Amino acid sequence: MEKTIYLRLRHRIVVEPQAKVRLPQIAIIIAPERIKAELHDFSIYQIKKEDKNTVVLDAITVIRKILERFPDHEIQIVGPNHTIIEVQLEKKKIPLIFFLCVWLLLFIGSGISIMHFHEDVSMPFVQQKLFHALTGRHVEKSLLFHIPYSIGIGLGMILFFNHVFKKKINEEPSPMEVEMFQYQQGIDQYLLMHENEETTGADSSD
Amino acid sequence: MVALAAGGAVGTGFVAFIAVLGIIPRLVQLTKTVHLLIFYEWATILGVLCGSWLGSYGFPLHLHPYLLGLIGLFYGVFVGMLAAALYEVLNVFPIIARRINMEGRLRSLMTAIIFGKIFGSIYYWVIFF
Repeated sequence: MEKTIYLRLRHRIVVEPQAKVRLPQIAIIIAPERIKAELHDFSIYQIKKEDKNTVVLDAITVIRKILERFPDHEIQIVGPNHTIIEVQLEKKKIPLIFFLCVWLLLFIGSGISIMHFHEDVSMPFVQQKLFHALTGRHVEKSLLFHIPYSIGIGLGMILFFNHVFKKKINEEPSPMEVEMFQYQQGIDQYLLMHENEETTGADSSD
Repeated sequence: MVALAAGGAVGTGFVAFIAVLGIIPRLVQLTKTVHLLIFYEWATILGVLCGSWLGSYGFPLHLHPYLLGLIGLFYGVFVGMLAAALYEVLNVFPIIARRINMEGRLRSLMTAIIFGKIFGSIYYWVIFF
């Protein structure tokens, strides 16, 4: 008789506070028909208050719990060795005013910083020289040159970030999205090492 | 001999800088033209050569002022990409967005930066200096 249970742990799930985490939530299951229903109801972890907002479930914990219930089965883990459970504590709605403050911070900050940059690299002097070199005329300032330049800065940034506001230029992720993803992965990696009872050596026999 | 060495140092430095910021890969990715990469490299090299030559001797080319607008636009796009790349290298964004729980509004924050740059630049040229 077939006695193997195959599990593929999910990388990351989000649950409500105080929730009972059932096996199908954290893993894709392939199991013999007779125990399938039971496995689908199998509660693997109870979120406690002191868990705060993340719990890491190690594959070995999952195996131990299942073996306690189904001692004569064999369990095969396919894929990731941990599941990160994120407890969705009440998400505070960000007040609009707060958002506007951040928006203004970035707006004013980046505006001033480009002015600093121009001053820092002596842009007026260089552009005067350039204007002379290109047209053979001397002018104090040439808006014909400066305005397209200024708009070009915006275009260049849009091009780099791959966004025309709501619309994407092509299907690929923008560097910002990749950056966010890498940051998230770094956090996950950290959590796996620091929140995991199996690797930090805390008692997990509960 | 000294000049050659100095030029070599500056040249490699420039290439390293451009490479770290990853502007060329970004453009290649956007236009899906990896096979033309060699031309982009040469465009950069020629640009640097012309730039340093123009900067050092700079005898007038007598271009029409309207053509200058076009050059200004490309100039700006490049500086804009440079600025955007710097933002990315400095890694400010993911951290800000996460700290204040605003992942969903990332796009409008990016718009803030872009408009900030445009207005800052126009203000600088028209009024400030």
